[in-house]
Amino acid sequence: MDNAIEVRNLVKRYITYERKGFLTKVKRIVEALKGIDFDVKRGEIFGLLGPNGAGKTTTVKIISTLLLPDGGYAKVLGYDVVEEASEVRKVIGVSLSVERGFFWKLTGRENLKYFGMLYGLDGERLKKRVEYLLDKLGLKKLGVADKLYEEYSLGMKARLSLARALLLDPEVLILDEPTLGLDPPSARALREFLVKLAHEFNKTVLVTTHNMFEAEMICDRVAIIDEGRILSIGSPRELKLKVADNMALEILILPSVATNLDKLVEVLREKTDVTCSMISDVNGYRLKLIVPPNRVEELTSISVRLLHKLGCSVRRVEVKEPTLEDVFIKITGKKGF
Amino acid sequence: MKMGKIRTLLKSGILLDLYFLKNNKSNLIAMLIWPYLMLGLVVGMGFLFGSPSAFKRNIGLDINPIAYFVASTVVMMASISVMWEVGGNVLFLRWLGILPYVIVAPHRMSITLVLSYVPRYLFFMFIQVVEFLPLLVLLEGVTAGVIKTLIMLLAVTVGMLPLLGFSALFASLLLMVKEESNILNWLNPIVLIFSGALYPTSLMPYWMWLVSRVLPTTYTVELARIIALIGSPQLAPITFLIGILMGLAVVYNILSYMLIGAGEKRAMKRGII
Repeated sequence: MDNAIEVRNLVKRYITYERKGFLTKVKRIVEALKGIDFDVKRGEIFGLLGPNGAGKTTTVKIISTLLLPDGGYAKVLGYDVVEEASEVRKVIGVSLSVERGFFWKLTGRENLKYFGMLYGLDGERLKKRVEYLLDKLGLKKLGVADKLYEEYSLGMKARLSLARALLLDPEVLILDEPTLGLDPPSARALREFLVKLAHEFNKTVLVTTHNMFEAEMICDRVAIIDEGRILSIGSPRELKLKVADNMALEILILPSVATNLDKLVEVLREKTDVTCSMISDVNGYRLKLIVPPNRVEELTSISVRLLHKLGCSVRRVEVKEPTLEDVFIKITGKKGF
Repeated sequence: MKMGKIRTLLKSGILLDLYFLKNNKSNLIAMLIWPYLMLGLVVGMGFLFGSPSAFKRNIGLDINPIAYFVASTVVMMASISVMWEVGGNVLFLRWLGILPYVIVAPHRMSITLVLSYVPRYLFFMFIQVVEFLPLLVLLEGVTAGVIKTLIMLLAVTVGMLPLLGFSALFASLLLMVKEESNILNWLNPIVLIFSGALYPTSLMPYWMWLVSRVLPTTYTVELARIIALIGSPQLAPITFLIGILMGLAVVYNILSYMLIGAGEKRAMKRGII
């Protein structure tokens, strides 16, 4: 079985009541998920990327066995999240909110011990696991393992939340916005830890986020979700290529004294058949070619050969791809307020 | 469910309470003075309406009113405690954002809620009953004081059994609704009224009396009264009430085991976990 998580045609509707008067309410049905499909492979970090209200948390809660779907199914390691919820619970670790979910009057260590026991760990095994996680997540190093949870910063709470998700050493981790509100160093530390978990310890990580940078940094594959529908799935690079009409190929050159710069641009235009411009740079000259994504490699090699022939030394070649944010905006069509 | 799992679940409850007490000294002090505060309130209120001799005259027995109120206070506090703690625990966990992590534990939620609460109940009740021992010895002598204390311990332990299931039913009801605190606020006093805690069930309209018969708290209230009058030997009714409580324990715990799953499912369907 290659897939750790399998989601097919998942549907979820919420019934809400809107108050219209003192005694009258109007029933409203909100379609949170409109039949989504995706798979998460074993050992990969899969990101659910979407704006607020897109259906990310609903999806995560269904996969975590905390919410019942109205249609379709989801499986974790082959276990159905509705029919075999107890089996699913044995193989997942969940972190839903980094801000809440612990006893405020207990220390980090005490909280972990309590949840460890609740999850069936005991004795030496529990003690070892708690110490290991406090150490791995840096809470010992920060000197806060024995501080009350109410004194924790958001970054420390996030670490503790991840530690709890890892108590049973689960194969699949389900994390809802794990870096939300964290300062950059804490967010980076957490991201690095997640990558290590997936790539060194072969854990499958399903993570939701609306942080494009984060998704690009850590996710092997990403699904863009909006208004209860998956709009696109692929690796960050695949998604970028999908939406990119053109890419910028930038070549930093040092021309020889004899090189006619105007002619150089003209020849490049002629040979490559793409838009080409040149600006001076403190380190030399920067040539910019606007190239279609499927011809990046071909045109890079033609240009470099040509530049050498014309007596230029090529210092650096850069392909400027669109960011995941560009992809997201293009796919969802959302530009903000 | 395996014994090992039950043991760790019970231990998790003990651990949680020990941590709370260790980290909250004021909580510990409050726990220790709470029974005497309650007793003071009950006795004080009682004296507002009449003297100790008038009390003896009214109930027709030669007993110390304070000893009487000790017993009724303990048993009533135990009943309220079970209902509030098991039912209220769901709210507490939901407010703290802990409920999802309890649900993803590999036990049924009803079992987690009930079993992790049992050690806390037994521990706090034991402390509170034993706290009254010196007072009872002072008022009634060593033998009577110790006997009354032991019977009170038995009563609060047996009385707990049906209340656990009853309160878990409460918990499932709380799970299903959104404005949960309102329910706990009005349901608890109503249960106490129907149980005859404030007004004898024998004087209630017939339909209220019928309802009172299915409430376990009715029998714990009666047990409290009998224990309070233990100066005159009444072991037969105590045994009878304990029998009823045991029977109700079976019924309510089976019902709660079945229904809390339905409550959990409904909450999970509506997305209010």
